[in-house]
Amino acid sequence: MDLVITRSENVSTVEPRGRIDSVTAKEFGDRLSQLIRSGANRIVIDLANIAYISSAGFRALLIAGKLVEETDGKLALCGVAGEVKRLFDLASFTDLFLICGTRDDCVAKVQASD
Amino acid sequence: MKKPAELAYGVDEKPPGVVTWLSAAQHVAVLAVVMIFPVLVSREAGASPAAAAGILSAGMLAMGLATILQASSRGPLGSGYLAPTGFQAVYLGPSLAAAKLGGLPLVFGMTIFAGLIEAAVSRLWRPLRPYFPPELSGLVVLFTAMAVAALGIRYLLGESAGEPARSLNWAVAGLTLVTMVALNLWTRGMPRMFCALIGTVAGYVVAVWLGLGSVQELAAIAASPLVDFPRFEHLAWSFDLSMALPFAVSGVAAAMNTSANLTIFQRLNDAEWVRPDLGSISRATLTDGLASSASGAIGSCGISTLSASVGVVVATGVSSRRIAYSIGAIVFVLAFLPKFTAVLVAIPGPVVAGALLFMSCFILIAGMQILTSRMLDARKTLVIGFSVAAALAVLMFPAASAGAPIWLQSLLDSPLVAGTLVALALNLAFRVGVRQKVGLAIDVAANYAKAIEDFFMQRGAVWGARPDVIRRAVFGVTQLAETVIENCNPQGPLAIEASFDEFNLEVHVSYVGDLLELPESRPTDREIRESEDGTRRLAGFMLRRNADRAQSMRQNGRAIIHFHFDH
Repeated sequence: MDLVITRSENVSTVEPRGRIDSVTAKEFGDRLSQLIRSGANRIVIDLANIAYISSAGFRALLIAGKLVEETDGKLALCGVAGEVKRLFDLASFTDLFLICGTRDDCVAKVQASD
Repeated sequence: MKKPAELAYGVDEKPPGVVTWLSAAQHVAVLAVVMIFPVLVSREAGASPAAAAGILSAGMLAMGLATILQASSRGPLGSGYLAPTGFQAVYLGPSLAAAKLGGLPLVFGMTIFAGLIEAAVSRLWRPLRPYFPPELSGLVVLFTAMAVAALGIRYLLGESAGEPARSLNWAVAGLTLVTMVALNLWTRGMPRMFCALIGTVAGYVVAVWLGLGSVQELAAIAASPLVDFPRFEHLAWSFDLSMALPFAVSGVAAAMNTSANLTIFQRLNDAEWVRPDLGSISRATLTDGLASSASGAIGSCGISTLSASVGVVVATGVSSRRIAYSIGAIVFVLAFLPKFTAVLVAIPGPVVAGALLFMSCFILIAGMQILTSRMLDARKTLVIGFSVAAALAVLMFPAASAGAPIWLQSLLDSPLVAGTLVALALNLAFRVGVRQKVGLAIDVAANYAKAIEDFFMQRGAVWGARPDVIRRAVFGVTQLAETVIENCNPQGPLAIEASFDEFNLEVHVSYVGDLLELPESRPTDREIRESEDGTRRLAGFMLRRNADRAQSMRQNGRAIIHFHFDH
């Protein structure tokens, strides 16, 4: 799995590419934790280029969400469509996160929480 | 059955009177366009305008009754859905050939035969389904589109009128087509919905004004009374063995057409639709076949459910079966209006050309959508490719059948018949070697995700399975493998076995190791975050929800997880 992280103003956008499974979820989770602990607490995760996310990947998202909450930050997801959306529904994760239609929407929403 | 949000009135609901009759009128407008088909058949037979009017009136009586019966669902008849019945293009090619060979009596006699074939197929639909896969239905619709387009071009070139095309004919055909296209692309609401009818009327008016059209047929309009009983002087029946195969193919094609239409109507009416209700489809096809036979018996052409009616249901949001009773009543009344049927009989050739070419576009796309609704492998690619080539050959080289025996000529005269027969034969032949039950062993150290995906994608294509069901199986087995490898101490490979028929995909995964539970309730967020056990239980929860049925058990020292997917 590749992970592309970009920063713009006070928002960090994390774009995983490939699969988030038991093998790659640890790296995904560790990088997110590292980012949040470094002070970035306005985070957008773009899942548009994810082909598969398993229970391990959902756990990593939950942990990241909790960390962001503890730092009074905001986390939003975008690119939740097609098969990924179906998996979010299966895991009953759809209502747990702020999910936006586009990356720009996500950025605007996490910024607006100031 | 749960009514989808986009439907204003569902199949069991009772809309207000105005909505009912307006919706019915819209459906009748669609049915009116296909009333061209018996007019073309009667012209091919050299029938008089009075006989042509009689064919139309008789057909309308059959259409009205069939539409009402389809909605009612009593005993072995009727689907219970609003599924309007009209003249059907699958009968057109063989009917034209029969009209040429033996006149109207042969058309009526063979239509009775085709209807009985369809009725017989309806009783055997479940066991016959593997021999009539969805791509075959798509091909039938595609060949129908090709035949309709070819006929339109014949009328455009004036060949059907036995005279060279004149520039005025081209102008009228062009005006008809442009009107239909413009209304369809650049308007909304009623003008768009009635674009075919409006274009036909516009072309008709201009054609008459320019002096085109048959003088005899136009004179018959003036001479016809406003109201009269339908005439049956044209009634006679005959049978010719050389036409048996083409009409048998039409009967089977009509069965496939009705099966496809009913599946769409079922899906439109149920937000929780998973798979076709075969009981309803079987009753619908029986009704369809008997209605077509009845149409032939009272002196008209083959009829069947129309896919164009789906568009009206989607556009109006009204699918109440009460609409069907109103449609039946309106069509029945029209059968008693000789002036109306005389107007249809007199439709000028260039207007027919425009209408047929326009209709063929939508029939073509419907066929292609059905063709691509399932996964395709090399076998299916060859079935589709060769059968399309056969249909095209018939269209492009009509003279090739000139020296053939009469019985073979009837097969080679129609792209629908030739293409469908090739598809049926190849589908049967290529079933050799297709295994419905297959296995795969997953080495826990290997790149199992790719192996699982490749396995199911390849098998799905061979089976012609629905892509969404295969995707669910891929996720299920991949997530299961991942969770077992991480949490269940597997000793040795995981054994995967998958079996498929048209209605079910069964997947067994077995291994030596700890059994994975599939909990009914989701672990809490805290449990997922704070423990591996929580993540494992989340996986089991997702696996249970991913399949339509899921079980985990121990058998002979092995842990077994079984998934069932409805197809």
